[in-house]
Amino acid sequence: MNSELRTFLLGIVGVPLCLLGLFAAVYGDNTGAMLGLMAERTPTLLTGSPDITSLDGGFLANIAMSIIAMAIAAVGGVILGVGLIAEFSIVRHVSDVVMNVLRNSPWLVVLYAMLYLLPFEVEIFGVYVTISPFIKSVIGLSLPVAANIAEIFRGGIQAIPSAQWESARSLGYRRLQILRHIILPQALPLMIPNLMTIYAMLFIGTSLVVVTGASDILSAAKVIIATTGSETASGFYIYILFLFFLFAFPIAILTRCLERRIGSVSL
Amino acid sequence: MTTSQTSPLIEMRNVRKSFGLFEVLKGISLSVNDGGVVCIIGPSGSGKSTILRCINGLTPIDSGTIRVGDFSVESLRSDKKLIPLRHEVAMVFQQYNLFPHRTVMQNLMMAPVQVLRQNADEVRDRAEKLLAKVRLTGKESAYPGELSGGQQQRVAIARALAMEPRVILFDEITAALDPEMVSEVLSVVRDLAAEGMTCVLVTHEMRFAEEVADEVFFTDRGVIVEHGPPSTLFKSPSDPRLKDFLDKVL
Repeated sequence: MNSELRTFLLGIVGVPLCLLGLFAAVYGDNTGAMLGLMAERTPTLLTGSPDITSLDGGFLANIAMSIIAMAIAAVGGVILGVGLIAEFSIVRHVSDVVMNVLRNSPWLVVLYAMLYLLPFEVEIFGVYVTISPFIKSVIGLSLPVAANIAEIFRGGIQAIPSAQWESARSLGYRRLQILRHIILPQALPLMIPNLMTIYAMLFIGTSLVVVTGASDILSAAKVIIATTGSETASGFYIYILFLFFLFAFPIAILTRCLERRIGSVSL
Repeated sequence: MTTSQTSPLIEMRNVRKSFGLFEVLKGISLSVNDGGVVCIIGPSGSGKSTILRCINGLTPIDSGTIRVGDFSVESLRSDKKLIPLRHEVAMVFQQYNLFPHRTVMQNLMMAPVQVLRQNADEVRDRAEKLLAKVRLTGKESAYPGELSGGQQQRVAIARALAMEPRVILFDEITAALDPEMVSEVLSVVRDLAAEGMTCVLVTHEMRFAEEVADEVFFTDRGVIVEHGPPSTLFKSPSDPRLKDFLDKVL
């Protein structure tokens, strides 16, 4: 049995047991009844609606936001990353400033900024489109992630020896062709573990979007707790920790697997 | 005889190049005839490799002129303008610099197909013949990392030949090889020279230079100190610096 599989089994069994222990420590004799309450409210926590009639809230919203924000950030990050290694120094410097500003902004601050900077609705070709809290959250999350992806991109590109550029140039390749045909295919495997780590961070970061009013799992929990009483809050938050762990932990393990595999391939 | 046959294929006139404050080339002039084999020898840091890199435009020069065939290299200032030149002038590096993520066959085919836009089937036929020529038939689908240094360098030579160049520049191609692999690489170069391929070699293999070269250039501290046919240059050097160098390496 390899080490990642062992860590995975240990974590996937051990961590829930620890959380269960914590749960029991908080609720004592009431543990059974509280677990029943958790189970009863699970549909609401997962989808935002008690009878699963709509799938646009709760934990599913967190997952959706993380995936959409990652996709936007990937596109933006690659564009910014190409800027970071551009031939023209002006482009390079501007990209560097943008990247540093975005990367060093606290995510919560960026989310608040989106809340107040983005208008309630915009007019696109005469059609009024409402910018919902969901969209604001996605944009807000994708900005710092894009900056991180740009850095991962730059680092991956620069990890490839300059001799590869040189031999490609001597064969008549141009800059973007070299990037596309020679450098990126070699650099991409190096970037994947870092990209997965930043995705896991982004996913965990979706818990911050509650400040924008988006109906994520935390806002669903707040609504539930308002009816079930504050003594149930600890239980719900432990349960939410468990859900986040369940989603993010396998990504972390997979990242480690990939890292090991890449390490064993000599470039 | 027409002038095109008598005028050299490569002509460098008074080429100067500085890296920062350090002047690497201090007025280099040399010429290479079509089908000729020229060796450049000299101590480390004397600018030998820089001369090669100037010829194919990898390193832009500060002043002087370089003519290769009909191209005036110093006027080609972008990679796009350099493409036709790089079709004619191929280069083989000390560290092979093969593309590690591509098989041997793909390494040979990539540039002719992607850069020169040639037909893939024709390029494959040519590449197979070239692999036979460098005695690597059967290694088509191997990755560079699975080959020995000597084999990789022979693939690199085949990759250069796949561009159907008029000139090949060899930059210390045996310097990174284990001694027992040097001869397999040199014999490929020897074959090319015998077939009339124009070759410019920067090398530390003095006996090989003496054997294959039509003309040898000795560089030291950015200038060409002495040049001539190998028989006179190696047997009766006139410059004290060349004598000193030959005493050390032979």
